[in-house]
Amino acid sequence: MSRSVIPAAVARQPWRVILPLVVLVCFGTTVLYSAAGGSMTPFAQSHLLRFAIFLVMAFGISRAPSDFVRLVAYPAYAVVLLLLVLVEALGAIGGGSQRWLNLGPIVLQPSELMKPVIVLVLAQFYSTLPTGMIGSWRAVVPAGVLIALPMGLVLLQPDLGTALAIAFGGVVIMFLAGLPLRWFLAGGAAAAVAAPLAFFFALKDYQRQRVFTFLDPESDPLGTGYHITQSKIAIGSGGFAGKGFGNGSQSHLNYLPEPHTDFVFATMAEEWGMLGGLLVLAIFGLVLHWGWNVARTSRDRFAQLLAAGMTATIFFYAAINLMMVMGLAPVVGIPLPFMSHGGSSMLTNMICIGTLMMVDRWNRTPGARRLG
Amino acid sequence: MTAIMVSSAISSGRSQLVNTRQRSLIMARLRVLWVLAAFAVLAVAALLRIAYLGVVEDAPRGMSMYQLLLPPRGEIADRNGVPLARAFPAYSLWYNPAALDDGGAPLVKSPQQVARELVRIFPDMDVHDLTRRLQSGRAGYLRRRVLPEDANRIQEIGELALEIPQETERFYPQGSMASHVLGYVAADGHGRVGMEAVLDKDLLDPARRATPAVLSLDLRVQGALEEELKKGMLATEAVGAAGIVLDVDTGEVLALASLPAFDPNRIDAAGQRNMFNRVTNQVYELGSTFKPLTVAAAIDAGVVTDLSRRYQANRPLEIGGFQIRDSHTIGASLNVPEALIHSSNIVTAQIADALGGKALKRTMSDLGMDQRPFIELPARGFPIWASGDWPRLRTMTVSYGHGIAVTPLHLASAYAAMVNGGIWRPATLRKVEPGKAAKGRRVFKASTSARMNQLLRMIAVYGTGRNADAPGFRVGGKTGSAEKPGAGGYRRSTLVSTFAAAFPMDRPRYVVIAMLDEPKGTAASSYQRTAAWNAAPIVGKVVPRIGPLLGIRPDDTRDIDLSDLKPLVHGGVE
Repeated sequence: MSRSVIPAAVARQPWRVILPLVVLVCFGTTVLYSAAGGSMTPFAQSHLLRFAIFLVMAFGISRAPSDFVRLVAYPAYAVVLLLLVLVEALGAIGGGSQRWLNLGPIVLQPSELMKPVIVLVLAQFYSTLPTGMIGSWRAVVPAGVLIALPMGLVLLQPDLGTALAIAFGGVVIMFLAGLPLRWFLAGGAAAAVAAPLAFFFALKDYQRQRVFTFLDPESDPLGTGYHITQSKIAIGSGGFAGKGFGNGSQSHLNYLPEPHTDFVFATMAEEWGMLGGLLVLAIFGLVLHWGWNVARTSRDRFAQLLAAGMTATIFFYAAINLMMVMGLAPVVGIPLPFMSHGGSSMLTNMICIGTLMMVDRWNRTPGARRLG
Repeated sequence: MTAIMVSSAISSGRSQLVNTRQRSLIMARLRVLWVLAAFAVLAVAALLRIAYLGVVEDAPRGMSMYQLLLPPRGEIADRNGVPLARAFPAYSLWYNPAALDDGGAPLVKSPQQVARELVRIFPDMDVHDLTRRLQSGRAGYLRRRVLPEDANRIQEIGELALEIPQETERFYPQGSMASHVLGYVAADGHGRVGMEAVLDKDLLDPARRATPAVLSLDLRVQGALEEELKKGMLATEAVGAAGIVLDVDTGEVLALASLPAFDPNRIDAAGQRNMFNRVTNQVYELGSTFKPLTVAAAIDAGVVTDLSRRYQANRPLEIGGFQIRDSHTIGASLNVPEALIHSSNIVTAQIADALGGKALKRTMSDLGMDQRPFIELPARGFPIWASGDWPRLRTMTVSYGHGIAVTPLHLASAYAAMVNGGIWRPATLRKVEPGKAAKGRRVFKASTSARMNQLLRMIAVYGTGRNADAPGFRVGGKTGSAEKPGAGGYRRSTLVSTFAAAFPMDRPRYVVIAMLDEPKGTAASSYQRTAAWNAAPIVGKVVPRIGPLLGIRPDDTRDIDLSDLKPLVHGGVE
């Protein structure tokens, strides 16, 4: 990439992440093309289109100055929280649970937006918290409230997967912000006590069943264990090099549930085998490594926490989804970033990428003003 | 990061500030490392898992609809695809006294009443026997193979202890037909006796059990053979009967019957006794049916060059104190065709003597007479076969089918080689695709075979085989009535009567063998025990039934040309 030929504005962009992402999305498109029975519609075309639109949006986000981002952190949080309440209210009026808001042509899922926003608001909170107070209750309680409010609202929907994703993003920020380790140990112990109680009293029947199924999917391979069993069959039957493009019987014959969203990895692995799986893992590795590097080289606390939180959010998506389809985690409805068909998940992940690009730009801007 | 900390720290003193800064810096780095390590652990776990799923874990177990619809055990079909054995889901009636589980009586109603209601559904069951079994309080099958509508009626009795589990049964739609070929499936799910045992692995293999195993049998031919054999067996009060229809060019067994048969649908003690296969497992001295084989060997070896040469036939041959005689004196001398037509032991023995023991033994062993018969079935009898050099007497007795005991299947394969142009092939129960027949080995010259076809036809036209000569089917064959050995030598009245035939003799296609074990002289056989009167008529009835099915039409205008041999028997007793 010689700087003399390529305009500086182009050369400046973080190609190290954009190129792998384009590869991953294109690969995802071919899988969706195959999952639709060899057709660009209904999945592949909109997948590419969304990526293009959201990539432009990510470039837009990356132009934002640091001061502005810090300024809008709390208001953005408030707006999204309000949207969550609105969804809950509409659901109550409409009778039944609802996760979406219909805004004309766009169907918005506020709980998805909450994932990057919780990272943003907590990064802002801890960057303004005086260093000496990090060990006191004042470092924990406001942050806890910030996490608990959206989590509670999302749990009401009920959407356990997204609630856990929000919590995970928040907890990673708290951990990196330097909260005393004892809080986490205590929190872990409390979770260990609360988990069985929650399991028996708070979880819905179908969620309980999913946990049982996760623990022993073979116990009911045609019933509740169906997803995991079929997914493992799909991955396993791909073997080393896969059955070949368009030859996946598990997805084409509808054995695999949700071959285009949550179980897209299984669809891919059946046709492309272990090699395809390794490619996807490698690209996620590249993207996450880049994200982490951005976080490590940032110059201030806000930028560092923000970048790390965004990276963790993408990681959480990818890790939970992959473990779910491989039978290492219970079935929770979390799509695979950049490969699964779905607008909200693409939006969230591209916001994360855009934010990381923004922090990267701050890092590289010479003589950036140090915040203080 | 340093900057924030410096500016935002509210500190009471310089040293404390530096201290705090230092500590949080180290801690922040540690935390980053921890999170990174956690990520890495998960990534490695995912990597290992995908490698495990992709490389180590076996191919997925059967879960698809296709496999669910597979029969638990493959079908067996005849050469035309007619099912001979199939798996079918049925109910059975199981008595479970513990079903009520309340510590009281196992039945709500009285055992007598339940038994009466069951007999109303199954009239063939016995009330007293059922009552006794219900009273005994022991769990067990009350009945197998219950039809769905009967299962509903059992349900309506309203007794929890009467359970109707669904079970897969092996069903033989043709009943006892071809039972010795098929065998049966025992309670352990594996085949016994026949092709069920031979094909057991194939029939259970998920990859292969979707397509039926195709046998060489033709159900229609099998039915005709069994029926005529059974009629003949009952009419002559024989203890048993055996029969086989063999394709001379491929070795395919089109029908194979051993009577009395058993019903593979229902194995009981009587059925167990009848499982012995007379066609492949029992060896007999098959008597005069061996004479054509001897003559063929002599013609082939050039020992008999002139069929008109006459041999003395009115003096028993004396060899080492043993006399070879005929049942009655036929004439002072006989030529070869006459000897076969009238079945002369004396003349055949002289021909064998001229041929020599070595040559006869080699021909017999070329025809597979020194080994178990070649066929897939597990039960194959070993012949009684004299090893070493055959002395003169042995050579002579073997020439007319004594001193050697083989199965009827051995005889069928040997006749096939004699009539098909001289090629011996192993018999098979698997369908042979056109052009895929075993190569076989040459035993006789084609010219010998052609001559033997004439001679066999002459026996049926002029000799002991006249009762087998179905009009228009050009049957040729030889009778054999051998005395069965018993305590203290051969028993003159206890015979094994065999007719070994082939048809149509102008271009032989099938060998048909019918054998009766210990037939009595009855009105049906004109009070005779010999094969001409009991076994030959069976062949005479089977051939017109199976010929048209196998593409051989009766035709009075066609026959093998006998004109060159006819003058030789003109002077004989016709």
